[in-house]
Amino acid sequence: MSDTLTEAPPQAPARPWAKIVGTVVLLVVLLLLPVLVGSQVAYLKLAQYVLIGAVGGIGLTLIVGQAGQLSLAHPFFLLLGAVSYAVLAGDPAETPDLVSLHWPPLLAVIGAVVICGLVGLAFAPVAGRVRGIYLGVASLSLVFLGLWLGQSLGILTGGTGSGRPPPTFSLFGFPFSNTTPAPTIAGVAIQKQQRLWYLFLAFAVLAYVLARGAVRGRIGRAWRAVRDNEAAAAAMGVSVARIKAGAFTISSAYAGLAGVMTALWLDLVKPDENEFTGNYSLTVSIAFLAIVIIGGLGSVPGAVVGAMIVYGLQQFFLLGANEFGWFADAQFGGLSAVILAAFIYGLAVVLVVLFEPGGAAAIGRRLAASLSRKEQR
Amino acid sequence: MIRGRSKAIAAGALALVLAACGSTADTGAGATGAGGIKTDKGVTDTTISLGIMGDTSGVFKNLGAAINAGNQLWVDDVNAKGGICNRQLKLEVVDHGYKADTAKTLYPQLEPKVLGIVQLLGSPVLAALKQNLIDDNMTAAPASWSSQILNNPNIMMIGTTYDLEIVNGMAYLQQQGLIKDGDTVGHIYIDGEYGGNGLLGSKYYAGVHKLNVKEAKITSTDNDLTNIVTGFKGDGVKAIVLTTTPGQSASALAANQALGLNVPVLGNNPTFDPALLKTPAAGALGNLYVAASSAPFSSETPKAAEIAAAYKAKYPGSPLNGGVDVGYVEGLVWQSVLTKACENKDLSRPGVQTALKSLTSVKTDDLVATLDYSSPGSPPTRGVYIAKVDAKAEGGLTEVAPLFTAPDAAGYKAPFQK
Amino acid sequence: MNQFIELLISGLSLGFVYALVALGFVMIFAATRVVNFAYGSILLFGAYVVARTHDNLGFGLAVIAGMAAAALLAALIQLIILRRLRGASLDTLAIVTIGVDILLATELTRRIGDKVFNIGDPWRDHVVHFGDFSVPQARVAAAVVAILVLVAFLAVHRWSDWGIAMRSAADDGEAAALMGIRLGRVATAAWAVAGALAALGGVFFTTFPTPGVDAGVGLGALSAFPAAILGGLDSTAGAVVGGIIVGLTESLSAHYISFDFSKSAVFLVMLVVLVLRPSGLFGTKELTRV
Repeated sequence: MSDTLTEAPPQAPARPWAKIVGTVVLLVVLLLLPVLVGSQVAYLKLAQYVLIGAVGGIGLTLIVGQAGQLSLAHPFFLLLGAVSYAVLAGDPAETPDLVSLHWPPLLAVIGAVVICGLVGLAFAPVAGRVRGIYLGVASLSLVFLGLWLGQSLGILTGGTGSGRPPPTFSLFGFPFSNTTPAPTIAGVAIQKQQRLWYLFLAFAVLAYVLARGAVRGRIGRAWRAVRDNEAAAAAMGVSVARIKAGAFTISSAYAGLAGVMTALWLDLVKPDENEFTGNYSLTVSIAFLAIVIIGGLGSVPGAVVGAMIVYGLQQFFLLGANEFGWFADAQFGGLSAVILAAFIYGLAVVLVVLFEPGGAAAIGRRLAASLSRKEQR
Repeated sequence: MIRGRSKAIAAGALALVLAACGSTADTGAGATGAGGIKTDKGVTDTTISLGIMGDTSGVFKNLGAAINAGNQLWVDDVNAKGGICNRQLKLEVVDHGYKADTAKTLYPQLEPKVLGIVQLLGSPVLAALKQNLIDDNMTAAPASWSSQILNNPNIMMIGTTYDLEIVNGMAYLQQQGLIKDGDTVGHIYIDGEYGGNGLLGSKYYAGVHKLNVKEAKITSTDNDLTNIVTGFKGDGVKAIVLTTTPGQSASALAANQALGLNVPVLGNNPTFDPALLKTPAAGALGNLYVAASSAPFSSETPKAAEIAAAYKAKYPGSPLNGGVDVGYVEGLVWQSVLTKACENKDLSRPGVQTALKSLTSVKTDDLVATLDYSSPGSPPTRGVYIAKVDAKAEGGLTEVAPLFTAPDAAGYKAPFQK
Repeated sequence: MNQFIELLISGLSLGFVYALVALGFVMIFAATRVVNFAYGSILLFGAYVVARTHDNLGFGLAVIAGMAAAALLAALIQLIILRRLRGASLDTLAIVTIGVDILLATELTRRIGDKVFNIGDPWRDHVVHFGDFSVPQARVAAAVVAILVLVAFLAVHRWSDWGIAMRSAADDGEAAALMGIRLGRVATAAWAVAGALAALGGVFFTTFPTPGVDAGVGLGALSAFPAAILGGLDSTAGAVVGGIIVGLTESLSAHYISFDFSKSAVFLVMLVVLVLRPSGLFGTKELTRV
């Protein structure tokens, strides 16, 4: 992994306020997105979906890019997170034949994240014995295990038939569902989808900030030391086993949060019917890996860009197809939105590895550097 | 990271946002349109719009395309006769590719444009949209027939459910002398809403007739079922029941023949696709009986024949399968509902619900059995057609028993039946 | 007991096919150190070509055409993409094959859609009876062909010039180059042969009693992964043993535990082997130098 490294944080750019203004503008746009989108709620769903990819992608880029441990097990933790949330926050009155502990939703989210972290920790010793690509394939077995457990443990998961409804999220009595009357911002009603957007935004910002902090701090340095040369790191006194354990814990916790978000987004917690299609399948494993590669291994902002491409493009094309009639000839085997999106991100993975191994992050740094060079002339 | 000045900017933006906050006033539902009839989204003075959330690019695209065509043929027929309630019908078509995720994003685009949904294909899609349908009071006719979805007040099941297909089918096999009380039968089913529901039917029938059911659970992508059939052979089964995909049925039928077992095989409606007649298993398909609530494509029931002819004329070269009948009959039921709603002078979404629940015998020219929607939770009908595989018939199936309801089926209590 | 033997026969016959597919996978790794995630799609491509050409060419020629096409595809992938990445880390190489797999799988799914194609083999649905047991002819043919190919391959690998070149390139590339072995040619040849093996495996995955060539066939080849890995990614003997273990695990666990557990069972067996012997049963251990 050492040829696609992310080094220590770059020098402060020559014009710091350009970057800061940019951040603020971005924040304002994100906060006002429901207003900008108005009644076209489908685009809000798309944006929420991208945030799910971003949160999961950040978690994966930390373990694969920073700590150098190849993990394909993300979908297992997504499922675990979604099911844990449903079990912890579930209301026994609504789902009498399923395990439901009726915790307050926020506590249930935290609980789900913690559970995923602990299970990730339990898998970490395998990383001690098995390395590199072997570890990646070993982690695949978790996805299969998840499929089987999801099917078998019906009283927790609701079974593959109808699954179980995720408990409505609420914060101190403010429910994240449709209410009348509803608060408005600039005349746009803030109902369930808009509220979920703000919730997801909060989760994503938290995930982002924590990850950046980790990357820039001591834990990031320890991860990179293990990634670059495990034996040397051990010789220097780094506890390799502990570092790996930490990496697995954190990345599974992130995946768990993404799983909770998936449950809230889909209004459904349902284990998949097979291992290749569905929300917790091998296809999702590969999609997250693509996010991380396209974004640049180890780069947190890169993971967000990767999520926009991998998770966002397909939905965006589909909305376009249905709204504006793109791909209209895709009746019996033509080029449909789904296929085109898959081509694009498959190609992106190959091109990134061939020509710009640092991914979108490296492209971004180069752009920023060339812009600041231009000013200095 | 963020300096003082920009903190101020961010705070200012937030303040702006908060200042723009307010609250929605209570808005009333629906308006009143031409003829003093209450209307809603999707209804104007001259048109009624219905939605299709189907699959024309994913795993069910052959079936999905035919169902879409059936919906359209119905719309054309109705409009040619003057429409409903003096309004012409219009279809808004959405393709979700059988993915719950994409259906979830596309639904908000469709919702404001339509009064109801004439076709909703896919049980994962239906599961994901269940809450949306309830929140928007949107009535939808699902192209999936599990009795487990009958607890959703907003769906309009068209035909009977998978469990009843199996009960009727097994009754048929017994009536033909192919199985008898006390026999062992094997049931291969996909773990999920479809397969699980079929299994309910075989377990019920087994309970009544003291049969021993050997269950084999598979996932929807398994495609080699030899090991399972080998096990069945060891168990001495006298029949095999399938609630599987067409490819899986082919594998089971092939193993049934290859291992020398050669027992009769009963399948639900979705277990067969005419494309199987071109696969290596073609020679083994003769043992398959299909129990379905809607007529096979080649059925000689007059209405079915009429639709088949119209389909071939309008969509030459398109796949020939029973989907076109499914689509047409979805339309016919909606027609009854809308006609009744028009009589009640209420074409709003609640009005559609009221009209639906008041219908106790909807006739569909024998495309499916007569439907009764007055007991939510209960399957609206219980009758099936039985067909056998026939390479020479159009659509690959030939009818061997016309619409009937077995006595055991009449006595079966569905999960949400009151 | 009867049932056990039937399951054994069924597991073994599929196991030899898995061995064939795993062998191709191992060849690629041994020659170029790449874990080829696109292998399932190459397999599907080969089977697809056979399915589309057997009407015109007859089964025998169609199989040759399919093997040649898959060999060409594999060689192209190696030449166009992987050659540029010489010197890159193992993970990078594996990752780029993931991208290639996405592209290949998407295009193949687009072409195949939900159709199922007949592979056109001459054994069709005929069955061979040994006393109480019956096995489809196609499976017997699969086992026989697989064993013949494996033996031939192992012989070539051991004794021919080319086989020696491949083995030395795998053992120590620099030394081999110094001795005049053209590494590039060896690598491309290895990929091409692996492609041909995949196509052959694909043909046997799609005879009776499976429904035929459909979009899911490439995924079915996923079971060959654990076969190659638990045998040891750089061991040809390991591939054979691994394939048989996987075939048997699948058929026995499908009956004695449950069918839906059989896939997890295969991966769990692989996991257990990896934890006990991190480089697989017969793979060479990697040394780490500081």
